Amino acid sequence: MQDRFRQDLVALVPKLRRFAYSLTGNRQDGDDLVQAACEKALRNAAQFQAGTRMDSWMYRIIQTLWIDDRRSHQRRGTAMDPDDADLSDEGKAASLPEDRMMLAQTRAAMAALPEAQRTVLALVAIEGLSYRETAETLDIPVGTVMSRLSRAREALLPKLGLSQGPRQ
Amino acid sequence: MTPPPAMDRTRLAAFVDGELSPEEAAAVVMHLARNPDDQAYVDDLFAANAALAQAFAAPMGDPLPAPLDQAIRGTAPASAQVIAFRPRAGLLAGALALAASLAAAVLLFRPMDAQSLAAGPVPSGSPLAEALATLPSGTPLPQGEGRDLMILSTLPTDTGPCREVEALDRRAARMEVALACLDPARGWSIAVVLQEPLLPAGEDDAFLPAEGAAAEGLSAYLDQRGAGLALSPEEEAALIARNWAQ
Repeated sequence: MQDRFRQDLVALVPKLRRFAYSLTGNRQDGDDLVQAACEKALRNAAQFQAGTRMDSWMYRIIQTLWIDDRRSHQRRGTAMDPDDADLSDEGKAASLPEDRMMLAQTRAAMAALPEAQRTVLALVAIEGLSYRETAETLDIPVGTVMSRLSRAREALLPKLGLSQGPRQ
Repeated sequence: MTPPPAMDRTRLAAFVDGELSPEEAAAVVMHLARNPDDQAYVDDLFAANAALAQAFAAPMGDPLPAPLDQAIRGTAPASAQVIAFRPRAGLLAGALALAASLAAAVLLFRPMDAQSLAAGPVPSGSPLAEALATLPSGTPLPQGEGRDLMILSTLPTDTGPCREVEALDRRAARMEVALACLDPARGWSIAVVLQEPLLPAGEDDAFLPAEGAAAEGLSAYLDQRGAGLALSPEEEAALIARNWAQ
């Protein structure tokens, strides 16, 4: 049982790192978060109900730790990935290949979102959870998932040069 | 013709996120055909989802960081007992190093699937059953989507012939090594599956197994079954030609 648990956890790690990266906006912070979450999961392995979704359980642990960490440090904003830092220099940015620009813009736009919106957007748009799964993972109503998602996209799309303001 | 009034954006988002029933989704599709503004918005949502998935995909292809690996697995190494005459698992990983460098770059965004090798009976007629019955050891068999399969060896055991199977999933950066054994009445069945992460090796981002623990772990199972020496290619070919009749 314990071996199986560890094995499943190892298999999940790539997705967990992606989720943590999308929350923190920084690879190293993301990995630290996943590490802390895995340690917590292993300490509390007995609480995990076999047959339920381990990914949702882990997303929840990661999200909780992340919010705790933000509260205790009262950090402002999200540390940007060093790879994206050169975007502040417009001359350099202009020379970046278009895709890389777009990806860096996406990370910056994601980092600018309020945490609650960022978390919901990450779970739905990146991790592919349904609204209901997202609601259960975060222990919030489905309606809240939808409204956070909607606000997140309203803020995000114009920054990606996608939807230029409301059309309706 | 005047386009129909705009649809609620929450509904358009639910369509993009796959939240609508087939009937509801079909209604949205019909609507989009007549409302270019809403169609553009839906395209934007799809584009944003794709950009998000890609922007944070980097960790999907990275090796497990060592501290994380230790935290999860603990520090106890797997059985150190190695049967030296058997081909070492990881052979396939090495053989496909070049292909991996290409695949690694593009195959990282997709969500991971369940493990490809599962303990228990191998469904007859499945690609794996086919490979176990006919594939000579040491021949890589591409499975698509960054996966490859290879039989490492065929060994006689107390219970009949067994074959070591290695499966690579580069997208999930994972290697599985399994022992499949043949029961004359019930066909092939996987007795044990061991898993380990793959690490990029060298400059070309090829993947190699992280520590070989999975490969070594099989030794214990082989010992339990009284496994002998791996068959030579000729012996193995003869056995395959006889359709595994002893």
